[in-house]
Amino acid sequence: MRHALVTLVTALAVIGPLLPAASAADKIRVVTTIPDLKALTDEVGGDLVDVESLARGTQNAHELEIRPSLMLKLRRADLLIENGLELDSWAEVAVQGANNAKIVRGAPGRVDASRGIQVLDVPSTRVDRSMGDVHPHGNPHYSLDPGMAPIITQNIVDGLARFAPERRDAFAKNRQAFLARLDEAMARWMRALEPLKGAKVVVYHPQWIYVLNRFGLTQAATLEDRPGIPASPAHLAHVIRQMKEERIRVIIVEPWNDVKLATRVAEEAGAKAVVLASMVGGVKGTDSYIAALDHNVNALAQALR
Amino acid sequence: MRALILVLVLVCVALAPAAAAAQDAAAEAAALRREIEQLQKQLQSVTDRLQRLEAQPAAPAQAPPAAPPAAETPPAAGAPPATAQQPSPQPGISPLDIARPRQPFGLYQQRGAGQLLFDIGIAGDFVGNLTQKNVEKAQGGSFPGLENRFFPREIELSLFGQIDPYASAVVRIEAGEEERTGDITVHLAEAYLTLLTLPFGTQARIGQMRNRFGWSNEIHEHDLPWVDRPNVMRNFFGSEGLQEQGMEATFVPDLPFYVEALGGIFNGDNQTAFGAGTLRVPLVTGRVRTFLELGTDHALELGMSVASGQTSEHLPSTILGWEGRYKYRPDGWLHPLITVTGEALYSIRQFNVEGDPNGDGITETEKRQKNSWGFYVGGEVQPWRRWAGGFRYDWSQFLQTPGLEQAIEPYISFWPSEFLRFRLAYKHTARTTQTRDAFNLNGGSARTVDELFFQASFILGAHPAHPF
Repeated sequence: MRHALVTLVTALAVIGPLLPAASAADKIRVVTTIPDLKALTDEVGGDLVDVESLARGTQNAHELEIRPSLMLKLRRADLLIENGLELDSWAEVAVQGANNAKIVRGAPGRVDASRGIQVLDVPSTRVDRSMGDVHPHGNPHYSLDPGMAPIITQNIVDGLARFAPERRDAFAKNRQAFLARLDEAMARWMRALEPLKGAKVVVYHPQWIYVLNRFGLTQAATLEDRPGIPASPAHLAHVIRQMKEERIRVIIVEPWNDVKLATRVAEEAGAKAVVLASMVGGVKGTDSYIAALDHNVNALAQALR
Repeated sequence: MRALILVLVLVCVALAPAAAAAQDAAAEAAALRREIEQLQKQLQSVTDRLQRLEAQPAAPAQAPPAAPPAAETPPAAGAPPATAQQPSPQPGISPLDIARPRQPFGLYQQRGAGQLLFDIGIAGDFVGNLTQKNVEKAQGGSFPGLENRFFPREIELSLFGQIDPYASAVVRIEAGEEERTGDITVHLAEAYLTLLTLPFGTQARIGQMRNRFGWSNEIHEHDLPWVDRPNVMRNFFGSEGLQEQGMEATFVPDLPFYVEALGGIFNGDNQTAFGAGTLRVPLVTGRVRTFLELGTDHALELGMSVASGQTSEHLPSTILGWEGRYKYRPDGWLHPLITVTGEALYSIRQFNVEGDPNGDGITETEKRQKNSWGFYVGGEVQPWRRWAGGFRYDWSQFLQTPGLEQAIEPYISFWPSEFLRFRLAYKHTARTTQTRDAFNLNGGSARTVDELFFQASFILGAHPAHPF
């Protein structure tokens, strides 16, 4: 009897960690490619979902290393929510290594958050790589524009409801509650940036166009020579000259980009380099969608004053 | 006269309500008309909406349209000159259509006739190498027969995409110079389909493919972190590596840690290691790999492979492989700072030896077994995004030839952009004296080889991301 008991306990000790947690069993397992979508899915799904993001906020979402740990997350996913517009096309490689039929391209478990987004920076002429790492379908960095949140969250509600139709009302209710909170925050952000409307900024990588447009700011130049192409000295000299001439006071830089270079250029031009959260979690204290925008708006307003 | 007035008054009194009633009726009719028109408009709107919904059955109409951008931003100085900053709705599509989430196959629906439904990419890889004249004569360099030449090693045309919701396909056609005549050979490098929706966490790949044996065998020439394939891979599988026709299946169990198990059945066409070339005695392959993430910065992949088949002499040949790959990528870095890769292979192979063991003039065929092994280990440091330096150390025996070779290859890589790379490398190879029969040929000698490599690689168009 004692032998059997010891065997049973040992077996449970070995097998136990291999079994998925019981509490997670009835939740919808969602994987998002970027943390912004995770934050929004958390808001919409609430306690009914278990969400993981493939990329971290401090990473460059264009170029993610396809680790098998990403495939492991996807292996168990009921739903994969992707940014689309070719920002996270690397996810396809991870999906193919995950052996999960629920989330392959075309399956109901694959959600493209960009559906319905009014895409900016859509090339109006033929594009090629002489223009750098240009996105042929337009600028894919829409997710941190609060004005896009209603569309993104609607796409998320639809994706979740495809998997659990009986919970659609709950998701819709969560979404409305989140959008109400976002509206309140939006009024606050508008007030903070209203006096600075029309101000010009320089960005490191052209990924802020949606946010800048939303708040009436203008992107005057990029530190990158062309998207994804490191700046040449001649280009930097041109940007510094332009900043001086136009009295541009701020360079926005992503946490994953070359902050030192941006700081050096800013000092040369008599401006400030501001690190903004390019994705949720990109900067300390930006672990939710509203917190990330709070940080970005406050940092930008402070630097532009 | 009085009577006339009285009659008129009476007539007016009699007709007034009728006129008022007529006026009321006219006003009522006008109101009704407006109401009907309004209803007609509403009906038309509902009909239109219904038609749109019917066209996209699962799309809810709850998505609010995006608020218009608050201000227009002029194009960035460095950005492509002709990009539209404003949203660009397609002609004939209403804002409601744009706001509405599209269906899973929206991408395909929106493509017009004549547009491709798959991706195309071209990778070009040019190699130049300089070595001793002796080595050239003996054709004993890393690119046998192409010593002291600059040549296109691999120009690869890749076509890949979804076949349908259940399967994807890849076709790769390669062209390159294989002999010093300057002639370019074109061949089908890979063509396979992958069944993506099999049950129980499985996938199957069918066709002609680079086998997933170890880490480097699956990697294409232009994607390797070195100019040439590791010596042990070349000695055990030939210059092209293990490339077979058949099918393989992978299984990824739902566990808290990553494990991938692979099994495959192939013709066994590889002449260096196998060569039976028939499914009656197929080449059977297997691989298990796992992955350990040590915090966010450190990652380690470990694996073990096996390939077992028959040689062209119908004698058994089995190759075992072990692989390890470690990367240190500080948080937020766009590239790894340190990468260490190593593979070891062990071959158990039987072969026939003809001889006259009794000295009676009668030739006898004797079966013998030779066990060989080899390994390589490579390290790379990439302190800057565009620059990396590293080395590879090779130690390898040969499948049939006696003796062994060792090599050390330091290199430096430079990426002007992620689509273009230049590499410069030096390789020193030393072979033991037992290898002289195989490497002292045509009046030359390749026992000690010094080579200088230059490599230029580019990518045009689509190129899938690389796995770990």
